[in-house]
Amino acid sequence: MDLLTRAVRGLAGRLVRLVLLLAAVATASFALMVHSPVDPVDAYVGGDIAAIGPEQRAQIAERWGLDDPPLERFATWLGNVAQGDLGRSLSFNQPVTEVVGERFLTSLALMATAWVLSGVFGFSLGVLAGMRQGRATDRAVTWWAYTLASAPTFWVGLLLLYVFSVSLGWTPVCCAVPVGVLADDVTLLDRLHHLLLPALTLSVVGVAPVVLHTRHAVIEAMASDHVTFARAQGESTRGVVVHHVLRNAAAPAVLLQFASLGELFGGSVLAEQVFSYPGLGAATTTAALGQDVPLLLGIALFTTVFVFVGNQLGDLVHARLDPRVSRDLARARRPRWGRGEPGEPLLDPDPLPPPVVPERAGAR
Amino acid sequence: MRAVQKFGRPVAGAVVLATALTACGGGSPSTTAEAAPTELVLAIGGEPEDGYDPTLGWGQYGSPLFQSTLLARDADLGVVPDLATDWSVSEDGLVWTVDIRTDARFTDGEPVTAGDVAYTFTTASRSGGLTDVTALREAVAVDDDTVELRLERPQSTFVNRLISLGIVPEHAHGPDYARNPVGSGPFELVQWDEGQQLIVERNDDYYGEQPDFERIVFQFTGEDASIAAASAGQVDMAAVPAQLAPTQVPGMRLVEVESVDNRGITFPYVPDTGRTTDDGAPIGNDVTADLAVRRAINLAIDRQALVDGVLEGYGSPATGPVDGLPWYEPDSAIEDADLDGAEELLEEAGWTDSDGDGVREKDGVRAEFSLLYPASDTLRQGLALSVADMIAPLGIEITAKGESWDVIDQRLHADAVLFGWGRLDPTEMYNLYSSTRAGVEYWNPGFYGNPDVDAHLEAALTATDTAVAEEEWRAAQYDGEGTGFGPSGDAAWAWLVNLDHTYVVDECLDLGAERIEPHGHGWPVTAGITGWRWTC
Repeated sequence: MDLLTRAVRGLAGRLVRLVLLLAAVATASFALMVHSPVDPVDAYVGGDIAAIGPEQRAQIAERWGLDDPPLERFATWLGNVAQGDLGRSLSFNQPVTEVVGERFLTSLALMATAWVLSGVFGFSLGVLAGMRQGRATDRAVTWWAYTLASAPTFWVGLLLLYVFSVSLGWTPVCCAVPVGVLADDVTLLDRLHHLLLPALTLSVVGVAPVVLHTRHAVIEAMASDHVTFARAQGESTRGVVVHHVLRNAAAPAVLLQFASLGELFGGSVLAEQVFSYPGLGAATTTAALGQDVPLLLGIALFTTVFVFVGNQLGDLVHARLDPRVSRDLARARRPRWGRGEPGEPLLDPDPLPPPVVPERAGAR
Repeated sequence: MRAVQKFGRPVAGAVVLATALTACGGGSPSTTAEAAPTELVLAIGGEPEDGYDPTLGWGQYGSPLFQSTLLARDADLGVVPDLATDWSVSEDGLVWTVDIRTDARFTDGEPVTAGDVAYTFTTASRSGGLTDVTALREAVAVDDDTVELRLERPQSTFVNRLISLGIVPEHAHGPDYARNPVGSGPFELVQWDEGQQLIVERNDDYYGEQPDFERIVFQFTGEDASIAAASAGQVDMAAVPAQLAPTQVPGMRLVEVESVDNRGITFPYVPDTGRTTDDGAPIGNDVTADLAVRRAINLAIDRQALVDGVLEGYGSPATGPVDGLPWYEPDSAIEDADLDGAEELLEEAGWTDSDGDGVREKDGVRAEFSLLYPASDTLRQGLALSVADMIAPLGIEITAKGESWDVIDQRLHADAVLFGWGRLDPTEMYNLYSSTRAGVEYWNPGFYGNPDVDAHLEAALTATDTAVAEEEWRAAQYDGEGTGFGPSGDAAWAWLVNLDHTYVVDECLDLGAERIEPHGHGWPVTAGITGWRWTC
């Protein structure tokens, strides 16, 4: 019973935080859009400026709802959102929910693949480097990670595109499906083939921090007393890593991986642009360039929820992997909500130096 | 699969992956075909993000594909009937009566009626989209095949709405229409993968000329990807920027299409008297307000050198905003690259370099002004800097400045600005030069005004006869007696160049007669798409 109320209370707290966050994001995004120097009607009219007269511009402004003062527009929009209506995207001439839904499904495949790739590769390489600290393998992996960390996504994308698509012709130059093939005839392999290069590019965003943090955690774990003790008992290096180090090293990697969802999203905007991959990132670019306020706000809200949920999941998984964290979290939360039992006695100093816990998204 | 068999275009499917690898690796385009292909793949951009609804502006350039229009332009840009069989304008220019053909059907089998035409025009006039039909008061179907379009004011250029507005079916037009277009045009939509490609199939019930190809795929990729696809032999045609036009693509030829996609300098036409617009933007410039200065600059610029140097040869010298169009007046042009003549003009007008600093003065005013261009546009930057260099020996100091549109919006009535225009609709000419348009939007930014020119422009706009209208449009440029807005008259602008639109096209694909294209590189090339043929 106690566990249940605590879980419900925890969930309610998180929800309240999410709602507050959404409100803040919506207000800030709207303020930014309204103060943008780009005139929405000019952006929409574009090259047709010679043929669109003042009367027609007035009609456009009316259709876009630009006639009302900004505060009133924001209030109307908020009211509609409260009723579940995110409005209609002007640049796509489609309800915002449909645009976001359709595009996100395409992006999801890309982001999920990139996410898993960067997690698996990053963790394995990190463990490998940490185990062989100071040796050639370690230096090669570290060098590689620093290179990736300092390489801009779009540049890596262009490079890969040039080598594999243009010069070698192994991968398609664009899109999520083959050109000229009807939807029914597109196979799963086709889709994977088109996904490969963008996903590889995008995974570059996340791989370097995971490698470096994992390596650090492994090195620390390897130097700890309990590993020395295990060694003294005759455990092989492999045994030490599998039984004593991996779990310690996994915690920061997992937390980092979940916290990187925001960066993953940012990276997808660039990767999708380079590969003409029609996901949410490409839609964001269109919305921003076209001053499509409803769509941009919709995407901002959606991304917020996405990143927030990612961070919360990261917390939960991290807590599972490292019991000290859930204890700390519980301790930290109680005073804030003012309703917990008296604090538990402080534990003895941790048997291990605390794992490197990076800040949430956007730490770099 | 089909693509590979028929014309060796490697489709990256699972089964054909290995084949594709070899085909792509060689980078050679595909000529295994004996029979003409039934499918074309084009990478010419131009995806309308908001879909294919003509009442929101779809289909103004090039072919509307799915819909048909009342009238059309032939390769010489003359007006010919399409869905209409006949049309006439009332004496007062207020009522356009259009008879439509009775054999046209929408792709859902319903006949195209006068009611659909009236519905289309009425909807478009209220839509708040990218087609300006605000001149329409009401559209009424008089009987099944006659429609009356009643205007608010006479407007000879309304014919362009009849040419560009695709007719939509009243019974199938709603919020979803833009993604499920139904029309009476030469093609039907099969599939639109947004952000990627559009697949269309021939409409076998189309009343007009049947296209040669059963299926056309429009690939919506960026310039880089389009060129990569062309090099890999995956497309039959790609729009390429002029800088990349010299790149040789095996099996493809370069097609340069003339356009009125022009670039020119607008001069503030009135002196600076401290006047400002309602938004506080200053109006007027004492240097460019002098006719001699504007004429001298027009005379001194070597436009061919701009074409060769800045456009790498892919363009032509511009003498006005409507070069080569039916309403163009060739006599408005002048012989340029004449530094001596220009100097003479300036001397006569009293502009002399009395202090010997290389820049002329008159009544204490130094012959200097700023020339603004959008900083992100490298082409306009190149033009602006070259013009400043060409004019410097004349003793006029032009400072070329790259600015954001924000800054240009504030300065465009007081500094010279490098603009780009070009439409197949003389309304643009009216907007650029009529004194009623001074300071409206980006039109007539220099506050140009000449009563004689205004009279010709008004007469052209209110004419009920095409020939009369065209004559008046020409007279506005140059009336044969020294008056006009062109360089031989008031020289209100200095037009510089018309761009060529460059495409790489499969050697076997014949695009028919070329026509002058408007502003916008890519989609306009589809204007004659039903006449494209495979010649191998």
